[in-house]
Amino acid sequence: MAASGGGRRDPLAPSGSPCAFSPRGQHYFSLAGPDGHLRVWETASSRLHQDFVPSAHLSATCTCLAWAPPRSLAKEGPQRKKRKSEAVGTGDQVDLLAIGTAVGSILLYNTLKGELQSKLVSGGHDNKVNCIQWHQDNDCLYSCSDDKHIVEWNTQTCRVKCKWKGDISSVSALCISPDGKMLLSAGRTIKLWDLETKEVYRHFTGHATAVSSLMFTTLRPPKESQPFDGITGLYFLSGAVHDRLLNVWQVRSENKEKNAVMSFTVTDEPVYIDLTLSENKEEPVKLAVVCRDGQVHLFEHILNGYCKKPLTSNCTIQIATSGKDKESTPSPIPILAAAFCSDKQSLLLVYGSLLQPAIERVSLHSKEPHMCLIRDINCWTPKIGVAVTKVKTPVMNSEAKVLGPGIPGHHAAMKATLETEKTESKKRLKENEQISIEERLGAMDIDTMKEKRKGDLKADSYPVLLVQGLESNDCYMLNKVLQTRKDTLIRNTVLRIPVYAVIPLLNELTKRLQGHPNSAVLMVPWLKSVLTIHASYLSTLPDLVPQLGMLYQLMESRVKTLRKLSRLHGKLILLITQVAASEKTQGVPPPEQTAKLVYEEESSEEESDDELMADKNSDENWEEDEEEKESEKDEVEDDDDEDDDDDDDDDEQEIDQDTENEMT
Amino acid sequence: MVAEENLRVVRSGGSKLNFRRAVFSADSKYLFCVSGDFVKVYSTATEECIYVLQGHSNLVTGIQLNPQNHLQLYSCSLDGTIKLWDFIDGILIKTFVVGCKLYAFFASVHLEDSVFIIVNKEIPDGFQLASLKLPKSPSQEVEAKELSFVLDYISQSPKCTAFGREGQYVVAARDLYMSVYFFKKKKTFRFSLPSGNKKNCNNIFTCIACHPKEDCIASGHQDGRIRLWRNFNDNKNYTYTSLHWHHDVVMDLAFSIEGTSLLSGGRESVLVEWRGGIEKNKEFLPRLGGTIEHISASPGGDLFCTCHSDNKIMIIHRNLEVSAIIQGLVKDSVVNTGLMIDPRTKALVMNGKPGHLQFYSLQNDKQLYNLDIVQQEYVNDPGLVHIELMKAAFSSQGNWLATVEQRHEKEAELELQMKLWEFNEQQQGFILNTRINMPHEDHVTALCFSDTENSETPTLVTTSKDGHFKVWILTNDSDIYKQAMGWTCDFVGSYHNYQATNCCFSEDESLLAVSFEEIITIWDSATWELKCTFCHRPGKIKNLCFGRQTCSKYLLGTTEKSFLCCWNLLTCALEWSVQLSVIVLEPDPNSDNIAAMSWSSGGSDLFVFKPSEPRPLCIQKSMCREKVQCAVFVPRDVPESFISEDYQWLNKSQFYFLNESQDLMTFSTKSPEEKLTPSSKQLIAEESLPTTPFYFLMGKHRKQQETNEIMENELIYHPSAEDIPAISELLQTPAHVLPSASFLCSMFVNSLLISKGTKSAEEIPDDIEMESGKATDDSDEENDISEKVQKATNDTVIEDEIIPQLSKTQERELRKLRKVDYSWMCSL
Repeated sequence: MAASGGGRRDPLAPSGSPCAFSPRGQHYFSLAGPDGHLRVWETASSRLHQDFVPSAHLSATCTCLAWAPPRSLAKEGPQRKKRKSEAVGTGDQVDLLAIGTAVGSILLYNTLKGELQSKLVSGGHDNKVNCIQWHQDNDCLYSCSDDKHIVEWNTQTCRVKCKWKGDISSVSALCISPDGKMLLSAGRTIKLWDLETKEVYRHFTGHATAVSSLMFTTLRPPKESQPFDGITGLYFLSGAVHDRLLNVWQVRSENKEKNAVMSFTVTDEPVYIDLTLSENKEEPVKLAVVCRDGQVHLFEHILNGYCKKPLTSNCTIQIATSGKDKESTPSPIPILAAAFCSDKQSLLLVYGSLLQPAIERVSLHSKEPHMCLIRDINCWTPKIGVAVTKVKTPVMNSEAKVLGPGIPGHHAAMKATLETEKTESKKRLKENEQISIEERLGAMDIDTMKEKRKGDLKADSYPVLLVQGLESNDCYMLNKVLQTRKDTLIRNTVLRIPVYAVIPLLNELTKRLQGHPNSAVLMVPWLKSVLTIHASYLSTLPDLVPQLGMLYQLMESRVKTLRKLSRLHGKLILLITQVAASEKTQGVPPPEQTAKLVYEEESSEEESDDELMADKNSDENWEEDEEEKESEKDEVEDDDDEDDDDDDDDDEQEIDQDTENEMT
Repeated sequence: MVAEENLRVVRSGGSKLNFRRAVFSADSKYLFCVSGDFVKVYSTATEECIYVLQGHSNLVTGIQLNPQNHLQLYSCSLDGTIKLWDFIDGILIKTFVVGCKLYAFFASVHLEDSVFIIVNKEIPDGFQLASLKLPKSPSQEVEAKELSFVLDYISQSPKCTAFGREGQYVVAARDLYMSVYFFKKKKTFRFSLPSGNKKNCNNIFTCIACHPKEDCIASGHQDGRIRLWRNFNDNKNYTYTSLHWHHDVVMDLAFSIEGTSLLSGGRESVLVEWRGGIEKNKEFLPRLGGTIEHISASPGGDLFCTCHSDNKIMIIHRNLEVSAIIQGLVKDSVVNTGLMIDPRTKALVMNGKPGHLQFYSLQNDKQLYNLDIVQQEYVNDPGLVHIELMKAAFSSQGNWLATVEQRHEKEAELELQMKLWEFNEQQQGFILNTRINMPHEDHVTALCFSDTENSETPTLVTTSKDGHFKVWILTNDSDIYKQAMGWTCDFVGSYHNYQATNCCFSEDESLLAVSFEEIITIWDSATWELKCTFCHRPGKIKNLCFGRQTCSKYLLGTTEKSFLCCWNLLTCALEWSVQLSVIVLEPDPNSDNIAAMSWSSGGSDLFVFKPSEPRPLCIQKSMCREKVQCAVFVPRDVPESFISEDYQWLNKSQFYFLNESQDLMTFSTKSPEEKLTPSSKQLIAEESLPTTPFYFLMGKHRKQQETNEIMENELIYHPSAEDIPAISELLQTPAHVLPSASFLCSMFVNSLLISKGTKSAEEIPDDIEMESGKATDDSDEENDISEKVQKATNDTVIEDEIIPQLSKTQERELRKLRKVDYSWMCSL
């Protein structure tokens, strides 16, 4: 990881742009675009952090970038006092970025202050700077150039410390050994220099073309037997222009061996390389190579001596657009750079355009040999004239699902409750049994009644239309029927529909009740008449609870807001019906019915007091006329004390009452 | 690892930035603001914190540039000291010990020998403005006791005191009185306003600003009025005009540096610019977020800055465009959501601005962004009840975010909304998936996700005061029109109509624990059957969590009656219980440790334990004075390897907690010394930019104009290198960038005249030159001029003998000259 400081770039090709991640945690990513701007992004939020244009950006374009090793900023005064609590330093801060230019000058840019700090010119290069490396321990900076020289700079004084001829042709890459005592340089061949004496220590064959990147891959040699002198036994990696092979070399004690130990093969020439240093023998080196064709190849290998065959990648990462929308074909998005995060388990990918790249953290858990990430690049297009803000607005589009009380999915489906709410379900079971006995009797009566009625009345077109509409699910037909407002018509229609159409009708009504309130109001009289007229049939159904659970929840949630009012309403209805019933019984001679039914009536009257009311609650409330509310408001307060009964009853009970009503 | 010291509690950033007015440096490149015991130096261009000036041992209450040297900064603190800093290098130059609490600091260019401070001598509410003579002494710590009182009974806030044009007078206001003291006449005038029994009239002074060029005082008032006072050197004939736009308190006022416009701001969070002091002529910059608390203008006149109540500093360009935002951790009065970690970015997440979720990078101590959850325009008005973000939870992979917002006006119905956001990888942002109105009938008390990689459907559990807990699952809602996934309710559970208060999934997510007041219920997450209940009467359950990893068979709960209980899920029996009033119970996701924070009158204590072991791993008594609000374990990227038992629990995760004063704290194992000493790797790159020819000529001319006599001296003692280059530069420079010939001529002649006597200086080799430069640099840090003279090489000795006392700026000038390129010498 420490070696990832220097951004490498192909010195010959014009399209590759120099870029680099900041060391230690990769909080920043800097990229020198082809327009001469140096831009720094925050990797955590993909936000443009700063945009710097060197004064001579047109003549002296940026050719390479290197972040300085982190340094601490907290300097304290000469006197120190014990403090209760001090700020935890955010660690060493990274603030200097070295920029090599095409004319040979090196700029030191301070990213904290956002200004140019120094310019290293005098006595330096007189041709394009190809690579810059910071020394990790002291204030030295090494640079190499097309003018065949390597220069050692003192960054404190901004002066040349030493300058020597590095190669017979241009020097294109540099790398400092992990112990800081050796320097690798490469043109076409690779040389290892002793930094103290500035003498060549080893030669390596190198590549056929100019070497574009050099990196040490190990901190310690794999064999621990011999004493470690800081360099012998270490492996390093080199990549070159127009070369699809990355070579790995080993520094040996004997001078003869000059050939590569092994090589990695990639699909195109490497543009950016990052690796995790292996600290011990068992830990494999992880290598991420960004190629010119925009792919990333990942290698994982334990370096251990020779390997003749070039290794192929363990995993390839590509990014493409989805291609779903107007553009018919998915197009690839080039990856610009990749770096391992400090946990070594995830990779920071930079992709997209050079002006506004996207930065993403991808975890590398999958074992697949090929990963293709689909990304929408349009949302990253640069925006102009947007005010500075630190607010991100997540997308809230109309496609989002909306749940409210009464809409399916807002509350658990009813079937689940039967199994789980044990205490309640036990009660319910008993009731179910009771109901079923009553029901059979009641149902028989009604059926016979219905048959008689059917014979009497003429078949209207409304029930037929309704049934047809329900069967064909024809909106037009249904609208025609359901949008009527005449109560008698509704009642008659409901009376005449066949029983098999009841459940579909209820479902249709439920669906419409969930819609716009205006249309829902029209459905209320329908619902009321269906429930009162066909209650007996409904109660015979074994799967009534799951079928009508949604309707029940809907009614519950809507009635809830006006609980007191609905209670009052229910009580009044009860009183009125009782008064009416008593008047009836006075006027009308006692019914000619068997004793069994008489008995039932008595028993149900006691029960039905509250049950009937609850039923009315849910039914009557749909028509919450303003006047009604107004008129009843005064009474609500008076009746508050009487509201001591609970509303725990559910559908079946209601239906139960309905049948009883019918029978009475 | 490193030698391990004691565990220490350290503040981990996120401190307050809006306590006092921010101060610009003379060149507007830097912005200073007080932040607790520190002064922070920010770059106005990049929003980055460049230095933290540490040294005060108590709250810093005032900062101001040294009027004598604009590269230095004064700061005063409640610890009774005034410190002088060199902010370019971030070092302390001098400390003046005053010995009493200092509440504010003022200095004026025109009153050279003394500075002004606000102190509190006798009565608890009486503050005085005193002038203090700063003794000139070479030592670093100086006693400064020469106090003389200027004005009595003034306001504590520095906003209510201002110095007038050229330091001729000082104005201080308090309540309904304003006093003006003229230094020359030594006379005080007092003006008072009627107490304002009329409607909408509250004349209490809130802030004062003085016009920099004219005799004019602007005062802000409680009712939103701004008064411009003139002719105030007369007790009777004074006049004032009033400007009225603000409908609420005017929080701060500032004149632009030319005095042409007046800036004001308040709770409306609109920056108002009054041009020319005329009521009609005003410009606005609206929607700035929180209340504007302070306004300041840069000496260069190009920038303004506003400090806001949401811990933010906005740097605003002269044409009223926001150019940068320095945003600290937003401190809301209550942290409703608690602390969370976003699994994707590893950022700390909590509620920030009203209706927003803030993402805060702990590594950089910087806010990443605010995520606008509510998406409604925030109107900053005291009477309005806003939608508040109450709860939030991330799924374990960070793919899902659930947020609960509520609006609760006193009489009205409770409005609740739950939103489920999906992270869209294609667009790299959150997209609303499902919005649920009134997910419960009462306040939602807890949220938790379960989505391990192997489970197919992510599950969310919400508990509420309405006595239910709901299980929401992700289902396929695809129909013929579209493919869609949405959340639906799968199960509603309750227990005897008790209020559900907490919920928690076990690590393998096979069990769900929901606490109902005093009882904990355990549900099987596959069938939603109630498995068993636990109870430790009396006392309601406050916190609930399952053990992790090896301790996953344990369930831990804390009760209101200060018991920490551990149940074994295999035997369904109480394993152990301890009497401890635990406030925060937080399991470490990466290990089997659990942290419990308790509070007693002495402070907060921390206990870290494994549920399976009787002995706690770590006990930290009274680690923090205030009550801890919430805490979180943040997984480390790279595991540490502490050997000592005390820190082993910190190996895999870092522990952060937030106390009641909203400071984010953490534990540090490094010794303070290590942290403070500058690392040996320090790399001091001197600023050395080659000067452009234009700068060379123009810059020189300016210097000449400003300080003629210094220029002369410099010409005598430093005639050296740059003169002849001056000629060459003059010849090389293109004609269109050359200044007028009239002063080129004099320079040209000058350079010809003195070029002879420079040989001695030129002969010094480069390296030595630089060393001497460094030497002066070092000694400069210690601010000891006399020492420097001895260390320096011959030629500098000569200089210093001739001008023994060089001011700081002159020094710098000299140093710059010395750094000029001598390479041309080689070619000679």
